[in-house]
Amino acid sequence: MFQEKSFLKIFQFSETSILLEWKAEPKLKLLNELVVFKGLLNSNLCGIKQITLSYKSLLLQFNDPLKKYKNLKDRILKLYSSFDSSKTTIKSKHWNIPICYESKYASDLRVLSKHLKLSHHQLIKLHTKPIYQIYFIGFLPGFLYLEGLDTKLYHPRKESPTLNVSKGAVGIGGRQTGIYPNQSPGGWNIIGTSPTLMFDPDLKQPCFAKSGDTLSFYSISETTFKKIRENRIPPNFKKLIL
Amino acid sequence: MIEILNPGWYTSIQDQGRMGMQEYGIPYSGAMDMNSFNWANKLLNNPLNAALLEMTIKGPKLKFHIETVIVFTGAQMDIKHNGNKASLYSPILIKKNDILECGSCKKGCRTYMSVLGGLQTERILRSRSQCSYITKSGHINKKRILQIKKKSFELNKGVTLKSPLPPYNRKEIEVFKGPEFDSLESVTQLKIVTQTFTISHLNNRMAYQLEEKIIHQLPEIWTTSVLPGTVQLTPNGTLIVLMRDAQVTGGYPRILQLSNHALNILAQKSTRDVLHFKLKSFE
Repeated sequence: MFQEKSFLKIFQFSETSILLEWKAEPKLKLLNELVVFKGLLNSNLCGIKQITLSYKSLLLQFNDPLKKYKNLKDRILKLYSSFDSSKTTIKSKHWNIPICYESKYASDLRVLSKHLKLSHHQLIKLHTKPIYQIYFIGFLPGFLYLEGLDTKLYHPRKESPTLNVSKGAVGIGGRQTGIYPNQSPGGWNIIGTSPTLMFDPDLKQPCFAKSGDTLSFYSISETTFKKIRENRIPPNFKKLIL
Repeated sequence: MIEILNPGWYTSIQDQGRMGMQEYGIPYSGAMDMNSFNWANKLLNNPLNAALLEMTIKGPKLKFHIETVIVFTGAQMDIKHNGNKASLYSPILIKKNDILECGSCKKGCRTYMSVLGGLQTERILRSRSQCSYITKSGHINKKRILQIKKKSFELNKGVTLKSPLPPYNRKEIEVFKGPEFDSLESVTQLKIVTQTFTISHLNNRMAYQLEEKIIHQLPEIWTTSVLPGTVQLTPNGTLIVLMRDAQVTGGYPRILQLSNHALNILAQKSTRDVLHFKLKSFE
């Protein structure tokens, strides 16, 4: 009855889950559409355990094995054809994340600025200028997938990963920038460290940010870094209604 | 309480895991072999989500400081209860100061030990399952004390105690097509579902790598959702089967998805075990 749209592919992924995948480029328009459609599915479909969002897809997980996949698929397509993401407001937040770019906290800053032919000051300016879009959390608990890195800062990952990237390290890898929420192995070039706790398993909501929020960085001194980390000061934010 | 005298090779506390927390990037976790996990709790009339011990390759040595009842399920293992041989799939009555010594796993690599009422360890983000970055440690350490409930025991009469062992020797792993399977050339598809694969030494609660390589031309994809049981194909042709503690997103093509049943069977396989994929459709 409802034709599958060329830009939306619906696929049974496991016994209990359905994958919706968009053919569009992962731009801001698509992100907003995913955030709104996710909310719509959550309030209109029964038996959903959770929906997870990534660049171009939504994964719908159900409580029980799917018995009537065909009906469910039709229902999802019907919901999709009747919805208009531009008519819905999204409540999101803009987060200000402090970073200490001092050499002690930025193991690869010197090498990277040499490669990119930029001064430390220019590099930091280019990194703190954009408003980054938060797409989703993955890779590690509390790791934010950000879009918006200045093209002048694009740089390949290191050839072999560092075994112990420290907690809060801020890196550049390819076209991406991000914060390591915990000590872990990693291949990105480290240009600074944030004292902000990106993941706290003791909180009911262990990560402050969510898909659709935005973020920007600002530069801080070592003294401020220590103050924020020791007192576990949460980042400040502005409410946005889009 | 239970005192850990020796933790064994890799023993961790597990329940059904952290389903519903993946939007924060938190792994699913939970018992690797859910079938054996469920039996272990069922045989004690425990709540479905009661936490227990998952023992890998070689089990721990434990001292009990409380009366309780325990059950072992999963991989065959030599278990000595105060020096006497004990068996799997039947409740064992434990008295204060009893010593339990677990040997190595045979036919399978994960043995489960449930305790009456379940382990009462700390719940973090809806689960007691141990997992790196979420709980203080990913496994139990020597000298750790595990709290349990004081509870009276009634045999679960509705349950057959002689339950059939899971088919650990089965080489067939049931799979569905993954989202990127159809992008593979048909000869490659055929190869994947007909050839035999060997589990590499790189296998743990996060993922199992397979040794045989599959040469392909698939591009990497935009980072997307993955599940326990998702089979990824890396650019150099390695197949990686994601397990319960895997990351919740990935950028490698997802060529296959294991059925729940197959995921439990694979969890009992280890280094150098062989398998082949059997393609199935959902209908």
